[in-house]
Amino acid sequence: MLTMNEPADRLPGRAALARKVLPYALLSPAVLVTLAIVFFPMIQAAWMSLHDYILWKPKDFTFVGLKNFTAALQDEVFWISLRHTIIWIAVTIPAQLLLGLATALLLNQQFPWRPLARALIIIPWALPSVVIALMWVWIYDANYGILNEFMLRLGLIKASVPWLADPDTALYAIILTLTWQGFPFFAVMILAGLQSIPKSYYEAASLDGAGALRQFWHITLPGISGVLVTAVLLRTIWVANSIDVIYVMTGGGPGYATYTLPLYAFIKARTNLDFGYGSSLAVLFTLMLLGLVIVYLRRAGRSVN
Amino acid sequence: MSKLISAALAVGLLAGTATAYADETVRFWYHFDNADNPMSELVAKFEKENPGIKIEAENVPWNSYYDNLYTSIVAGNAPDAAMVKMFAQPRLVEMGALEPIGERIDAWDGKADLQDNLLNLTKASDGKSYYLPIQYVVLYLYYRQDMLEELGLEVPKTCDEFRDVAMKLTRDTDGDGQPDVYGFGFRGGKGGHDHWGSFVLSRNVDFSAGSLTSDAGVAGTQWVVDLFEKDKVFPPSAPNDGFKEVTGAFKAGKTAMTIHHIGSSNGMVEALGDAVSATPVPECGGGHWTSFGDESTAVFSTAENKDAAWKWISFLSTAGNNTEFNKATGQLPVTKTDSEGWTLHEKRFVDATVQSLPFANLLPNAPETSDFVNTVWPVNMQRALTGEITAEQMNAEIDKLYNP
Repeated sequence: MLTMNEPADRLPGRAALARKVLPYALLSPAVLVTLAIVFFPMIQAAWMSLHDYILWKPKDFTFVGLKNFTAALQDEVFWISLRHTIIWIAVTIPAQLLLGLATALLLNQQFPWRPLARALIIIPWALPSVVIALMWVWIYDANYGILNEFMLRLGLIKASVPWLADPDTALYAIILTLTWQGFPFFAVMILAGLQSIPKSYYEAASLDGAGALRQFWHITLPGISGVLVTAVLLRTIWVANSIDVIYVMTGGGPGYATYTLPLYAFIKARTNLDFGYGSSLAVLFTLMLLGLVIVYLRRAGRSVN
Repeated sequence: MSKLISAALAVGLLAGTATAYADETVRFWYHFDNADNPMSELVAKFEKENPGIKIEAENVPWNSYYDNLYTSIVAGNAPDAAMVKMFAQPRLVEMGALEPIGERIDAWDGKADLQDNLLNLTKASDGKSYYLPIQYVVLYLYYRQDMLEELGLEVPKTCDEFRDVAMKLTRDTDGDGQPDVYGFGFRGGKGGHDHWGSFVLSRNVDFSAGSLTSDAGVAGTQWVVDLFEKDKVFPPSAPNDGFKEVTGAFKAGKTAMTIHHIGSSNGMVEALGDAVSATPVPECGGGHWTSFGDESTAVFSTAENKDAAWKWISFLSTAGNNTEFNKATGQLPVTKTDSEGWTLHEKRFVDATVQSLPFANLLPNAPETSDFVNTVWPVNMQRALTGEITAEQMNAEIDKLYNP
């Protein structure tokens, strides 16, 4: 029997071949599964986007080229949704990041019950999105909601505001919910980064007379920059694609006020059963997100290095 | 090698027998809001009467009921039988998903006991019968008897009276300068087309080309928008409100009137007692329109054992069983026997339902109606209510859907 430790070139022909093939054979189950559950649906979506495919007319599957894509670019709702998606990402991510950073800095201090505080802070992240969405629907409720009650008593508003039923506030109300849900992720990641910075750096810096702000700027930030880049990238992709909270809280309403592109694609495909058009929206959005990720990695990667 | 083959054969045989058992299973989909539903009792009774048939009844949440149904059909995993509404029929027929059951109905003992006209109402546009009615409701106006009496108001019979009453009922009861009670709980979210229909489709307007965009059609939608924007008789959350919010606000005394059907009456009485009553929806613009809420069952063309599936659905529409079924849903039975001496609802709600029957209508039996109900109506109504588009633009969007 041959052992795996012998180099391939010393073995006779058949054994050498087996030696070369074996790693691929061992990898193949994982690769096949990934192909089947990730790449095949992706290719299928891209293929569907080039067809007229309405689910309740299953016999009609006509190739239409880029018709769905040109239709999307001329669709008013596409542009409304795109605008909301940009706001959605551009407000949620920085808000989560700043809140997460502040929380992590606080949790990195010495204080009694610190382990308990660290455990509690993870709760919003650990709750299912549907629970969070339903909870915040009640907080925002125009008749019974605690937010209105609170603001009325403080005299901040004169009359109850229907936060989720007013197109001017609905999107931001959901963004606040998502910020609340997602900031623990940043807090935990950043906290891990903070703890990997050696204490001696701070001691040396304070000996040299650096204040808290300068220590933060020259030691803490560079120390956690690698973590930040990764966390921001992951959250951007998750937040961009996340539709569950919107779907439960408003279903996209009132009107198109809380439509984002993934939600629009979902509603087109699943509710209107127009899988051709829905797929083309999804493909368009994937390409945009891919572009964003590439630009981000190039710029952020460079500055970290 | 021979061992391997015999093992494979054995597995194949086992799989074969498993399918043979599965043949006797009927997978049934339904949707009940009621959490403690007695479906299991009906299933047990049926299985006792029909040994050899097993019913797998699955309660699918209403909000995604049809999304799940259509996708399961395309994925080749449709149930054998399911609860279905008329608005879905054109699509299901187009998909070839339904089994015609006209002959089975004709040969069925229970046919004569079905309420008149129900089988005609549920016939498909191709003249065949795919649906077996199981329950029905008619939408009417709920109102707070005590609030009307307190203010010395009459129950509104027309839209003008309705608007007047709604404005008077909208009031600040605790003196903090903002209304605590609103005249009408309008459903601006999914399902609210029934409310809108009573105020708009009553004006001799329908979904044919140019009808909704006519002066009468636009005036109807404008009237609804004005109730919200100018008269402010709907709660501010109206654009997003669905069934839960509308009935919740009415039960809590936040609204003084709303439109729904007898299915919610027991809950209303539980919350409000004698203070709640019902009457047909107001007559608007010279006509009268309300929504007929239908519910049937159907056998799917992919069902492996159609006889068993038919036995099960016809069992549910048979006198006695139909009462049990409607106990769970709170709607009205389709059999004459069960309708006589019906005691599960208070009489005033049954009366309002019966009085509303002469002008109860279904939405057009066309494939577009699904999109109208699910997206086109709610999105455009919400946009109109929040002032993003005009009433005319809203009606034009609906007209465009039905008459491209």
